[in-house]
Amino acid sequence: MVAIIHKRSWRDFDWVLAFLAIAIVLFGTVQIRNAQPTEPYWVKQLIGLAIGLVAMLAIAFTDYRKLLNLAPAFYIFGLILLIIVLVPGIGLKINGQRAWIKVPGIGQFQPSEFVKVTTAMMLARYFGRNRVHALSVKEIIVGGLILALPIALILLEPDVGSVLTYLPILAVILFLSAIRLRLVIASALLAVVMIPAAYWMGVKTGYVKSYQQERINVILDPENADRKGIGYHTWQSILTVGEGGMFGSRASVEHSQSGLKFLPEPHTDFIYAVTAENSGFIGCLLVLVAYVILISRLMTGARRASDRMGMLFIMAFVGGLTFQIFINIGMALGITPVIGVPLPLMSAGLASLSATFIAIGFAISVQLRRFVN
Amino acid sequence: MKYEDSSQNLRARLRFLQILVVLMLSLLSIRLYVLQVVRGERYAEIAQNQRRRRLPIPAPRGVIFDRNKRAIVDSRPIYNVILTREDVKGKDLNALVDPLSAGLDMDQQILTERFEMVKSMPAFETILVKQGATPGDIAWVESHNLEFPELRVEQQPQRTYPPNGSLAHVVGYVGEISPEQLKQQVAKDKGLKPGDIIGLSGLEQIYDDHLRGKDGYREVVVDSRGRIQDEIQKIDPTPGRDLITTIDLDLQHAAEEQLANSATKRGVIIAMDPNNGEILAMASAPTFDPNLFSQRITSKEGKAEYAALLNDPETPLLNRAIQSRYPPGSTWKIPMAVAGLQQGAITLERSNLACGGGITIGNKFTRCMGNHGSPDVKAAITHSCDGYFYRLGLKMGIDGIVSMVDEFDLNKRTGIDLPNEVISWTPSREFKRRMQPRDPEWRDIDTVYASFGQVYDIITPISLIRAISAVSLSGRMYIPHLLKEVPAIGDLQAVGFTPLDQSRQNPKVIPIPREIHDEVVKGMWSVVNGGGTGARIAMAGFDIAGKTGTAQVVGLGKDVGKNKDHSWFVSYAPAYKPEIAMVALIENSGFGGSHAAPAIRGVYDVYYRKTRNEEPPRAVQQIAKAQKPQDATGETAAAGLATPKPATALAKPAAPKPVVKKRATPAAQQAVISNSNQ
Repeated sequence: MVAIIHKRSWRDFDWVLAFLAIAIVLFGTVQIRNAQPTEPYWVKQLIGLAIGLVAMLAIAFTDYRKLLNLAPAFYIFGLILLIIVLVPGIGLKINGQRAWIKVPGIGQFQPSEFVKVTTAMMLARYFGRNRVHALSVKEIIVGGLILALPIALILLEPDVGSVLTYLPILAVILFLSAIRLRLVIASALLAVVMIPAAYWMGVKTGYVKSYQQERINVILDPENADRKGIGYHTWQSILTVGEGGMFGSRASVEHSQSGLKFLPEPHTDFIYAVTAENSGFIGCLLVLVAYVILISRLMTGARRASDRMGMLFIMAFVGGLTFQIFINIGMALGITPVIGVPLPLMSAGLASLSATFIAIGFAISVQLRRFVN
Repeated sequence: MKYEDSSQNLRARLRFLQILVVLMLSLLSIRLYVLQVVRGERYAEIAQNQRRRRLPIPAPRGVIFDRNKRAIVDSRPIYNVILTREDVKGKDLNALVDPLSAGLDMDQQILTERFEMVKSMPAFETILVKQGATPGDIAWVESHNLEFPELRVEQQPQRTYPPNGSLAHVVGYVGEISPEQLKQQVAKDKGLKPGDIIGLSGLEQIYDDHLRGKDGYREVVVDSRGRIQDEIQKIDPTPGRDLITTIDLDLQHAAEEQLANSATKRGVIIAMDPNNGEILAMASAPTFDPNLFSQRITSKEGKAEYAALLNDPETPLLNRAIQSRYPPGSTWKIPMAVAGLQQGAITLERSNLACGGGITIGNKFTRCMGNHGSPDVKAAITHSCDGYFYRLGLKMGIDGIVSMVDEFDLNKRTGIDLPNEVISWTPSREFKRRMQPRDPEWRDIDTVYASFGQVYDIITPISLIRAISAVSLSGRMYIPHLLKEVPAIGDLQAVGFTPLDQSRQNPKVIPIPREIHDEVVKGMWSVVNGGGTGARIAMAGFDIAGKTGTAQVVGLGKDVGKNKDHSWFVSYAPAYKPEIAMVALIENSGFGGSHAAPAIRGVYDVYYRKTRNEEPPRAVQQIAKAQKPQDATGETAAAGLATPKPATALAKPAAPKPVVKKRATPAAQQAVISNSNQ
């Protein structure tokens, strides 16, 4: 390794990206501790950070092209993990979802987070050849299939939230693989028109169940929705965020929304609400700015990539990352429905954390080799 | 980008994605601004409210003592099941009715009413579900913590009243404040809230502000399940102040015992210190158990018990001393005699009037029970000569009688510190107009009726004892009262009795010249000590002055069984240095000298033992042993036993039982029989 990491590597290494990621994780760890002061989640998160950093460095200094050439193997390995997790006895069932594999010593981890990376690799490799023509129908179908396999397995867990985070990966890759703009515009328009129409039709025909309608209503009007029932999470999260005010709540950690267990899942799904309560609007805004810079650095790396494969992989990662951030924070702010999607780099969770660092490592690797042909 | 071609416009697409990212995160930051900065304070308040609870700590109510600091009413701790209002916000309380009524063994209707009441009162924190929870109830609440985390058990002091209904009418009772009371401005000013325990009757009601104290509270932090996590602050309750009453428990128990052993077990005995108006005993029978109101009223059985009390024809809830009106019978002759002398209808030098065995007005003859010749005022009192007083009444005229009534405040409340005292009915032209619209003119026959304590005279025992006390003191008439003192505590000064109506004089001074006082007292002394109608209760060395009375309930001849006459005895002692005044009324038992007087003697015995430290001469038990209860006809025998010298011929049939040929007016009669429900 030492031989490979020569001076140029150190110079071209994206320090800003790496340190920004670490800073977000450390800030997140403080919030995890605020959320669950009596539980060891924050310690585990630090362990996760260490593991993530090692993985990041290892991948950063490995030629990503070699790794992408092995993408099919990783992809299949990922699928196997997704099958294993479904086996009772190995896969842990939590909240009705068999989505975790127990790892002795560390706890449990969620394979669907890793498979996101292997799937993105597979897609990047498939669409990564130099293009001459616009995207063909066949390519779209194959891309869809590559995505469909892990999605199908994850749906068996079932973990709809995770599945949703897979979709932007393919969407970004198709968008950047010369899919015809009119197709993009047409599907965007179709979505704008069809989604509300379909919802309306569904309500009218009774296909959309009343509890599903309730979930939508919660987002449309959280204050008047069933605050004790289906709207509880959203309402409590809004209160928690609101209590933070400009500079953070004055209530002690023990008397905070999470400390008194009014806010559910404070260290994972609602870590951003905890951040909002403790650090106020200023802290929240800083986190958002940090994410924007992080994503911008990644995109800069994508632009500088020496080949299409590298660019596509980074952008697929950016797509998944942005979508996940938006869904998770939107959930905390009561503008997206409550689905169990972790906030990258901040939510407690080994798999999410290390998968994100692996992806970051990949991005750094792509950058490091931008002048190498 | 080496791999870019023109058809892909990759650069533009990347730029587009970058803008998209910034837009999405900007959207989040706008939302963040709205939630945290624009609406932050409101949400913070809601968030705080959902984790803060104010749990009341009920203030212990003051103890009620007798004049010798013996406790009459105290409190003991009990447990209540309550609901925290914040925890049930937005929930349908009616859904709780079924499981709670089953689990806590409660009447569904009571629960529904409670929850209804809460809806109209937004400003308080807890809802009382069940008072006096049993260990079983507490266990039920604890074991259903997951199902109903909003339920809590709290400790509260509960009033415990004497078990046998002793002093029930005086002390009254406490209970939960009613929705109607809550709506009143007074309740709002005092900061009362649903579930608060307040005095609802008797001294508990009148002196509620002293007794109640001020609840404290604990402000705690609860978690999402309503479990207490931490205490932020604790405000200790201010205990209610104690009350020392003027009641002497020994006399009180003696009076209650006398009523319990009386012929009909219905009646009233009041003992009062004429020198200041302090009530030493006030017993009204039948009585009731005030614990019903403080402990059992919310249960089905309690409600039935209450309904039974309300419908009881013997009206046990009524304090007969201040809420029942009776014709005073011959006891009326005392104020009549005083007023007659004051007004000059008779004089000290010549007070003789004919008895005549009765009187004829127009074609109506109203008879006297005896033939007393031409007695003077003393003898007329001693032997209760009706004929004398018919004539005295005619000499005074209705205006004279009205001014007597005014003078002795008989047409006013006495102002005793008990709630719902009723006003006596007294003779006046206006009263007749109202009672007999068909014959509204006041006639001489009406004056005759008004002068011997029937028909137009229907008064409360308390107003009578007050008037007689005033006679005993030569005109000083105090407001009877039960509060001796609210003792000083901390910075608070002791509070004594002040008339509830501040404008009233205490004492009111009636101009009774010494000579007139002496003359009337001589007559009253002789009633007991001079072979009069109360001779059987005489105590050597303890001069009781008194007057019997036998108040007619229905027309002559029908006065048997249930409709027997009311038996009165009003007295004070010692005759020339008054220490204690007493009145007794035994309903429907017959002649005053045979029932009311011995009952009073029983109380005097206790008083004598207490104050003289020796056995009273010829205690009443001995008298009782010597003879059986008798009616009016046994009067002579009674007199003979009670006095060393043989009864005079005049003492013979002294029962004031005139023939009222024209029956009492229906309204007046009704008042006599059913008393009053006010």
